[in-house]
Amino acid sequence: MLQPELIQLLTVNDLVDTSIDTIPKLPVGFSPKGSLFCSFTSHNTEEGEKIPFTFTPHQILLHKDHEFFEDGDIQRHLYLQNLSTYSADDLPNARPCEFRCHISGCSQVFNCVEGYEHHYNTLHRHVCSSCQKSLPSTRLLDIHIQEWHDSLFSILAERQDMYQCLLEGCGLKFRTREQRKDHMINIHKYPSDFRFDKAMRTKKNKTARKNLLQKGTGMEESISKPEGSSYRPEEEESMELQPALDPAAYPADAVEMSTEIPSAPPLSVPIPLTTNQPRSQHNRGMQSHRVPRTVCFGQGSVQGFRGRGRRI
Amino acid sequence: MWRLNVVRHKAGRQGISLEELKFKKRAHEKELRQARRDSQLVSKRLLVNEDEDEEGGTMDTMASDQVLEYLQMITIDRDVVNKEAHLRALRKALRSPSAHLTFIKQQGSISVLVTNLSGPHPQCRLEAARCFHELSHSPHREVDPWRLRQATPYLITYLSGQSPKFTELCLYTLANMCPDSENVRELLLVQGVVPALTSCIQIHRYNLAVVEAVAFTFSQLVSANSASGEMIPAVLASGLIPHLLSALTPDPQFGLGPAIECAWCLHYLCCSNVDNGTLVAQGALLQCTSLLVTLGGAVAKGSVMEGLELLIWPLLRCVGNLLLSGPLGALQPHLKDSRLLAALIAFAQVFLRTHPALARESIWVLNNLTADSSVFSSAMLYLNLVPGLIQLLPFSEGINTMVLRVLGNIAHHGREYCVHLAQAGLLSALCATLKMADSEVVTFSLEVLGQLVASDTQLADEFIKQSGLPLLEAIQFNSQETIRIRATHLLEHHLTPLCLVDTSESP
Repeated sequence: MLQPELIQLLTVNDLVDTSIDTIPKLPVGFSPKGSLFCSFTSHNTEEGEKIPFTFTPHQILLHKDHEFFEDGDIQRHLYLQNLSTYSADDLPNARPCEFRCHISGCSQVFNCVEGYEHHYNTLHRHVCSSCQKSLPSTRLLDIHIQEWHDSLFSILAERQDMYQCLLEGCGLKFRTREQRKDHMINIHKYPSDFRFDKAMRTKKNKTARKNLLQKGTGMEESISKPEGSSYRPEEEESMELQPALDPAAYPADAVEMSTEIPSAPPLSVPIPLTTNQPRSQHNRGMQSHRVPRTVCFGQGSVQGFRGRGRRI
Repeated sequence: MWRLNVVRHKAGRQGISLEELKFKKRAHEKELRQARRDSQLVSKRLLVNEDEDEEGGTMDTMASDQVLEYLQMITIDRDVVNKEAHLRALRKALRSPSAHLTFIKQQGSISVLVTNLSGPHPQCRLEAARCFHELSHSPHREVDPWRLRQATPYLITYLSGQSPKFTELCLYTLANMCPDSENVRELLLVQGVVPALTSCIQIHRYNLAVVEAVAFTFSQLVSANSASGEMIPAVLASGLIPHLLSALTPDPQFGLGPAIECAWCLHYLCCSNVDNGTLVAQGALLQCTSLLVTLGGAVAKGSVMEGLELLIWPLLRCVGNLLLSGPLGALQPHLKDSRLLAALIAFAQVFLRTHPALARESIWVLNNLTADSSVFSSAMLYLNLVPGLIQLLPFSEGINTMVLRVLGNIAHHGREYCVHLAQAGLLSALCATLKMADSEVVTFSLEVLGQLVASDTQLADEFIKQSGLPLLEAIQFNSQETIRIRATHLLEHHLTPLCLVDTSESP
């Protein structure tokens, strides 16, 4: 368990000089805290920002009754009361740390860093800033943004092939979404209800949730599935939820209008943007009334973080 | 090895199975924690006589009846031999706690025992003292040590005697009487318990059983909450400290017992913070640190004696608190051995599984050493101890926040220190701690990271290479404002230039 270096240090014979004076002292630079301060004081005057870094080294004096000492005191008194010798196997082990997703409103807890990373990469890595849809890859996110939030796209799509094949490295483009779908089914043998083609349509059913930073991320959950992975039949059931709220009923233009300003932050939903805005807003409003927040759309979205702070 | 064979709690008396003991221990531990919260955590120790184990226990009800009978016979019988036999019988009857109540309710019972304790017959004295010892250990509230106070002048007087067994008995009886009652402690102080104990440890300094008993008695006196008023100054002035310090080194034959008691006694003195300068001047810091280095060597060799933690614990606390008795520069002569740093890390790693709280206290000492000391911070880096420290970062319960404090202390000394910390692998470790659930850990990690990236742009680049940026970006969505502000600040002021390059590079 101990590193060999440490053992060697502690078991050297007495002839070796272990005096602290023999150790060269590194030059004490101007403290990094100072530079933090510097950058702050300069900003301080301009922006009135507060210094967020507060750490200063200090020694800690602990009183006899400090809670820090509790376990040791208990061990001592167990010993004094002759109960300590039987303790070997039921002592508390040091608990490894838990990890938590930082996205407020998500805050899911994990036992290992891998779990955390998988969660983060799946749900929060490729998120559309306009509609908070989470996608499994940069490519799919780019395609999603183009097709759903780029106002030029639909204009261009009328004149040329714009719908890219979703496969990484295919590169073919199609005039319509249906053509692409046929291509993906026939050539690439994708399932007819491939989630990341279809799921995108569902997004406008969602009301863009408010206030990304404070109230919650509103990052929409969707399952991560490696592209090209085989279709899993058990997911079909969750797809069945969709028809009642079939997104196809809402024309694509409604969405496009509402997101006309490319740099619109995610919280900008209520801001009227276009002449068509009332209609799209109406749609959104209706949806948000009709659909409880706890209902998730899209295949596999049940795997999102409905149970907040839940351990997995 | 264990003195527990002789000095033990009543629970040890009956033959109980291991399972039962485990269960009892767990329940007991819960009780102790509650008692500690109520500031009523006290322990008493019971000396068991050699002749006791062979004899079967008496029935409780019988014992109660017998007590009165014996008491009467002791007063009536003029023959010394008979008297002694009656006293011995009484002492055995007093082993059952219910007999204590009968005894204490009987008018004049204590006076009878005191008469025998102070009498001229050695055997009667011994048996009377044993009776008092049984009573001092009583589980009953009614058997208040204050009611036994008539015995204390004699018990204190006998401490200066030459008979080790009898002295030990008097010591444990006195020790059992003090924790429950403030009045008894005041009385003992007035009756001169402190100089008596000091002369006792001097007389019996080669008898480790007595040394242990003296140290235990002292620890009972100085661990009381009110002790810092008169008791501790009296103890500090008594010339006891050198004796405690010389008894700190464990004896290979006798075991750890005496050293453990001396160390706890010192701990109670140190954390009262009455006059830690005197303790340092008398060599407490030097002795504790050199013993820790020795124990660190033992631990490194893999020879962890059973119960070693009971000695390491108070030593760590002494050192930790004594480090605040003056500026670290002034304490330097007492902290010569650089192996102390290695020993502290070795303790933390070895006891991490069995006693995480000990690991935490070990790092606490490291914090008190490295705070504002470039000498110890340099030594941490020079001796390459930081990787060992980083290994402790995945552990919760206050361990990792304390580790982060130490790392912050080192980083605080400037660029050179930060660069060395990064070389030891701190940046990737921070990438992990930044994801942790404990918001205190995240805050401390951001603080340390802030020091690193602000000290040198290369470290900022390095952090970005370890894919730290998305991490900080994620933290900007944290629910706590203080955490968000720190992350945003780092992104805006220290990680900006490459951040732009980075995004433009990635497709």
